[in-house]
Amino acid sequence: MKFMQKREKISHGKGKGMLSVGILCLCLLAGCGKKEESAPAVGAETDAVETEEMRGAAEENVKEAETEETKDIKETGYVFESNGVKLTVDMNMEGILDRLGEPNSSYEQPSCAAQGIAKIYTYSGFEIETYPDGDADLIACIVLKDDSVATSEGIDLSMTKEDIIAAYGLDYEESETSMVYEKDGTKLCFILDGEDISSIEYDSPVLN
Amino acid sequence: MKQKTEYGKKAVLSIAAVGISLFLLQRLLVPKYVDDVVEGAFIREYYKEEKDFDVIFVGDCEVYENFSPAVLWRDYGINSYIRGSAEQYIWQSYYILEDTLRYEMPKAVIFNVQSLQFENAQSEAYNRMTLEGMKWSPSKVNAIRASMKPEEQFLDYVFPLLRYHTRWSELTSSDFAYLFRTKRVSHNGYYMRVDVKPAENVPEGRPLKDYSFGENAWKYLDLMRELCKKNDIQLILIKAPSLYPHWYDQWDEQVADYAGKYDLAYLNFLELADEIGIDYSKDTYDAGLHMNLSGAEKLSGYLGAYLTEQAGMKNRKGEEKLCEIWEEKLEAYEEEKQRQYQFYGIKEDFNERSSCD
Repeated sequence: MKFMQKREKISHGKGKGMLSVGILCLCLLAGCGKKEESAPAVGAETDAVETEEMRGAAEENVKEAETEETKDIKETGYVFESNGVKLTVDMNMEGILDRLGEPNSSYEQPSCAAQGIAKIYTYSGFEIETYPDGDADLIACIVLKDDSVATSEGIDLSMTKEDIIAAYGLDYEESETSMVYEKDGTKLCFILDGEDISSIEYDSPVLN
Repeated sequence: MKQKTEYGKKAVLSIAAVGISLFLLQRLLVPKYVDDVVEGAFIREYYKEEKDFDVIFVGDCEVYENFSPAVLWRDYGINSYIRGSAEQYIWQSYYILEDTLRYEMPKAVIFNVQSLQFENAQSEAYNRMTLEGMKWSPSKVNAIRASMKPEEQFLDYVFPLLRYHTRWSELTSSDFAYLFRTKRVSHNGYYMRVDVKPAENVPEGRPLKDYSFGENAWKYLDLMRELCKKNDIQLILIKAPSLYPHWYDQWDEQVADYAGKYDLAYLNFLELADEIGIDYSKDTYDAGLHMNLSGAEKLSGYLGAYLTEQAGMKNRKGEEKLCEIWEEKLEAYEEEKQRQYQFYGIKEDFNERSSCD
């Protein structure tokens, strides 16, 4: 939306005294400048303040951190495996995409008012949805869509509620149409159609 | 005694100086929403209007990106305004409607039902974009209370400086330029985009554990319906033709049943897309999430005919003052169209029409 951008000269205050008090307040507030929380994104407004060098360095740091994160795949919670690639929710997609190969299709869902882009990658038998977290795309959920894929514990869409209990036990939360198992904050949801399984979903806590 | 008076004066002056400085700081640090992310400015823009609208829209991006009040005026003489905002939750739509009725009594209110899926606010940033623009009133207070996430504080809405004090390092020239003024960023609440990104590979909705809308959502839809009924306003429910996020059949049935039960109109534009002539390879700028200008104008043409023929809206082009207002608005609308066509390198068949034709 650069066509909307319009720069105008900065207006200058007149009273030196007032300016001093203002600067004093600004300094006091600047003392709180450690960003514990970020303001709602206001797009390119940061461009005027950050220098290219600063940004470049920050991007390098983020990339390094991401690479480390990708190497060290945290196998807490439920894990789904596809062609030897282990996937868990909240994992960074950056390294995963290379290892999983080209998806059959992908879709981007930019959120309103530039609050990030959610992405959906469709592979044979399953779908991965991501959520934006800073510059990274983390896995929000993995949805098994047909019986060509199964959970690591061997459950697929051709099975029944009885098979789920045999594989995962009785410690689950049940509703009329679902069974939800929880492990280390991640959820494994079985959507049911009567006794049959209509969908299997690995959910990140961000979806709560 | 004289010394005490002098001391008192100095104290008052000092307090005033600190107060003014804090006020100025607050003005400086709050986001202005005039550059890239303009959506945060939509709600406040309404207050500058001559408030005599026939139709008010409330809802999320599916209203402010999909309907063009300029077309409703140009082709049907219907004076309308969109009080939409990014991810506007249903309780916010209700309080924004309540706020609107403090100023005027429209003949119809159009509410987009997409937000019925939410029981709680999902994002503080979206709360801010909707709530900060509202003028202070009991409606705003209630809207804040209904919207706040557990980590939010009411006081941060009263004194936004508390929220935005960390923005000092992100300030740009716009923060100074728009310290005491704003610029218009919408067209009666409509956010214009002329670019094209065809809808391809739109995913199916993933199965849900529960398709029922929650109690809170129903509560505010009831409140909205009752508020409209009390004020003799037609409430029209719509579902914009956005392909994603997925609009489930089970959701549609619940809305259709509700509309039937209370004798409300419900237009699901997803089902009407073919009849309207929406071409998802040309009429969307973000692969089916929202309409671009071409899609929004087609949709508005259909809605205008509906409002005229089914909802009894009158053509007000005979009103001189209103015509003058719209003459200026349409000029700005056409100017932005051209600016965007040029920016995106798109050619169009441009037929300028007068606001009072």
